[in-house]
Amino acid sequence: MVRTILALMKKEFLQVFRDRNMLRMIFIMPIFQLILLGYVASTDVKLISTAVYDHDRSELSREYVRSLSAGEYFITDAPSIPLLEAERGFKENKYEAVLIIPDGFSNDLEQSKSVDVGFMVDGTNANSASIALGYASLMTRQFNERVTGFSPPIKLTQRKLFNPEGESVYYMVPGIVALLLTMITAMLSAMAIVREREIGTLEQLMVTPIRTPALILGKTIPFALIGFVEISLALFVGIMWFKIPFAGSWVLLYSLAFLYLFTTLGTGMFISTISTTQQQAMFFTWFFAMFAIMTSGFFAPIANMPKSIQYLTYLNPLRYFMTTVRGIMMKGASLDVLYPEVIAMIIFGLAIFTFSWMRFSKRVK
Amino acid sequence: MDNAVVIDKLTKTFGNFVAVDQISLTVGEGEIFGFLGANGAGKTTAIRMLCGLLLPTSGRGTVSGFDIYKENEEIKKSIGYMSQKFSLYQDLTGEENLWFYGSVYQIPKDDLRKRMDELSESLGLSEFIDRPAGSLPVGWRQRLALGASLLHRPKILFLDEPTGGVDPVFRRRFWEILYSLADEGTTLFVTTHYMDEAEFCRRISIMHQGRIIEVGKPQDLIEKYNQPNLQETFISLISRESVNAQD
Amino acid sequence: MHKIRYIAGKEVRHILRDSRSLMIAILMPILMTFVYGYAINLDTKNIRLAVLDFDRSVDSRELASRFYNSGYFLKPQVPPALSDPEKILRSGQAHAVLVIRAGLARALTNFTDYELGLLVDGADANVAAATGSYSNIMVASFLEDRMPYGFEVPGVRISQQVLYNSNLESSHFFVPGLIAIILMMISAMLTSVTIAREKETGTMEQLLTSPVTPRQIIIGKVLPYIALALLDAVLVIIFAMFHFGVPFAGSMLLLLFFGLIYVAAALSLGILISTLVSTQQLAMMMAQLTTVLPSVMLSGYIFEIKNMPAVLRYVSYLVPARYFIRIIRGVMLKGSDLSVLWGEAVFLVILAVVLLAIATKRFQLKIG
Repeated sequence: MVRTILALMKKEFLQVFRDRNMLRMIFIMPIFQLILLGYVASTDVKLISTAVYDHDRSELSREYVRSLSAGEYFITDAPSIPLLEAERGFKENKYEAVLIIPDGFSNDLEQSKSVDVGFMVDGTNANSASIALGYASLMTRQFNERVTGFSPPIKLTQRKLFNPEGESVYYMVPGIVALLLTMITAMLSAMAIVREREIGTLEQLMVTPIRTPALILGKTIPFALIGFVEISLALFVGIMWFKIPFAGSWVLLYSLAFLYLFTTLGTGMFISTISTTQQQAMFFTWFFAMFAIMTSGFFAPIANMPKSIQYLTYLNPLRYFMTTVRGIMMKGASLDVLYPEVIAMIIFGLAIFTFSWMRFSKRVK
Repeated sequence: MDNAVVIDKLTKTFGNFVAVDQISLTVGEGEIFGFLGANGAGKTTAIRMLCGLLLPTSGRGTVSGFDIYKENEEIKKSIGYMSQKFSLYQDLTGEENLWFYGSVYQIPKDDLRKRMDELSESLGLSEFIDRPAGSLPVGWRQRLALGASLLHRPKILFLDEPTGGVDPVFRRRFWEILYSLADEGTTLFVTTHYMDEAEFCRRISIMHQGRIIEVGKPQDLIEKYNQPNLQETFISLISRESVNAQD
Repeated sequence: MHKIRYIAGKEVRHILRDSRSLMIAILMPILMTFVYGYAINLDTKNIRLAVLDFDRSVDSRELASRFYNSGYFLKPQVPPALSDPEKILRSGQAHAVLVIRAGLARALTNFTDYELGLLVDGADANVAAATGSYSNIMVASFLEDRMPYGFEVPGVRISQQVLYNSNLESSHFFVPGLIAIILMMISAMLTSVTIAREKETGTMEQLLTSPVTPRQIIIGKVLPYIALALLDAVLVIIFAMFHFGVPFAGSMLLLLFFGLIYVAAALSLGILISTLVSTQQLAMMMAQLTTVLPSVMLSGYIFEIKNMPAVLRYVSYLVPARYFIRIIRGVMLKGSDLSVLWGEAVFLVILAVVLLAIATKRFQLKIG
């Protein structure tokens, strides 16, 4: 049986490497998408263009504006539109915020009184808006302390553990690695099986004394191996190009990736039992993958989702693998921290792989 | 002479549709048996049951002495199959294809090498064995497919329209090879639409709408139905059955 | 004219029979609307915050409950058995740890300096920023309530106002833009696949030997998809408005007009792709790569264009979705009209015209 499996694997590899489209799909596209996403995927809020209406025009008001634009958050600009028409600037997407400084600004401050400044924000991008408001109040607080000399007795000092630079990329790329592994191994294994069915070689194989386990293993192991090459490639690019940290254990990462492969290859097998053509297989994989990605906490935290959807995400194996990859890479997480995810992956892996195996075997009979 | 294939009232239904309706047959060892019938008559379904690709709904059968329900694995070891659809791997060369199937049939490596050389010679494959199977013209591809099905020296060879789309010269050559196989004792179970090929067979059966309506030697059938040749025999039989069915 | 109708009718039958097309055209938009409306929510909340209270006074407990009652922070399920903030974060039990050292109550009474510590898991930079931001707000309002009556804290106070989407609903940001994505998917992807399919199966050749002109073939094939795309757009808008409460502040006619131009651009892309590939599979892959992917990633749909490196910012000028998404968001959320959207409008029209020209030229070259 081992010989048969090896023969099947050799055949599969020969086929994959002779198919240029396949090669492009496995190696070039994912890395391309990785690099693209790495550059594009940042949910950082910065460079908020702000029009400043300074009715005070004093040294103090100018200092206030300067303090707001220190750092990358706000880019302040003199407005080109009178205040009454300020809304037009929002509609033209010229700026995202407007700061209005009243003319009693410096007087009030010099008399140690409080003074209200108006801060209007474009709420269209809800996330940016609320973060902008947060920054504004932070910058204002710092200004207040400096200028009024009155500092609140209770101060909050913050420190960030992991990713102190606050780079989105460090968070995104491990996620992308998880995604890639999922998509590639599931899609390729599904397509490989369906292709044999489509061209008739599956039938030819069925006439031979080949045993079903040998067939399944022969068709899934090659893609497990390709999957490993894939993540290695992605990790290499991530670390070399984007300088992603790797705080944890390589062995652990690869072992858990191996565990996760049971889920993805099982899913691929399942998809092959519901598709009759390769395009269908490709499409179904894409379809499942889309939803797995959206609800895995890839770029929107699961905690942000409504409760009902949060419960649903417990059924998404990618969610666990995502946590695992990010945990190991960014936080150096080890088994004692990751054991809930590992248990979940074991359960899913066994369940999906076994179910798909049985379904496939039945179909073959 | 032992019987290679024995089937008794073999039936296959798909829901309400009866694809194969209680067919019974015996095929002797070393026979060239022609399995004829119009398109959709149920020939392919019947062959698939004999090859272990499909489980019958009812009826009994043995292939090479093994029961088609219970001893599937044994059957597969002793039969070869060449289908209508060209089922070799297109992007693999002839040699790679043969090596692959040889491994699947668990032929020991040295034997496999020898066997491949043997077949390459007898079937004339060496000219194109290094080229990707998908790039070969039909005639050569079918020869390659035949070679793949013979690697493990099967006792029975099922051929489902093996010469479809092949030119007459190749067809003749193909049948010469088939004859020599039969001489060596391999049983051949062939379906075909070419009536001249049917006449090459020792016995033929004619299927219509799932049932076998006639079995016998080609010449006997031609005489029985008083027709000039097998083609006319076939046509008249089929139209007669259709008329009967309408009554 | 009726030849076009015949070809369109045939196309409709194809669509109805091809489960994959149906799924892309109907199921996906519905599901995507749900997902983008609910699941993709970047407003951070439900942040698991562990409070290590070493002061154990009325004040410290009040501070803690202020955090938890704000709606931003959640108490971790299991009270941390560990007392080391770092270990708590590493264990994943909490996202942030607030350390209230002993002495808070005293500092409040005597008005002396005191430091609260907050350790935040920085992995998700967005959540970390939000955590810091909210925490500052909590502490500030806690302090304000502690100030003697009538005492005004000197300094600048921000009086904030949110224009458009004042409830800061994530769905208002994502769902309208989704229309651009869906229209692109249907108009570009499905179209390129269906034309490629005719080429692949040889039926295109068959059609061309008949008295039908290439132009009639294209129009006929493309019409059902236009109808489908517009139907989907309308459905999403209705859903957005009635389910998610997205307003429609501007002119529907304006949106329809630019929607059609956008669809024209998308269709041209689809046709162009179909002239470059030979199989359906390639068509789908290429369509995804050059139309759907840029529309989602480079159009400003989710990720800000201004944060991207220069090269990608330039590329985004070529993505039709960039303009159309601005138009949709402008019209629906801000009530913008042509006087403010003319820039986007001009770019979109130019893109559409250019793409249409290139596509028709290539198509006629390849077929005619």
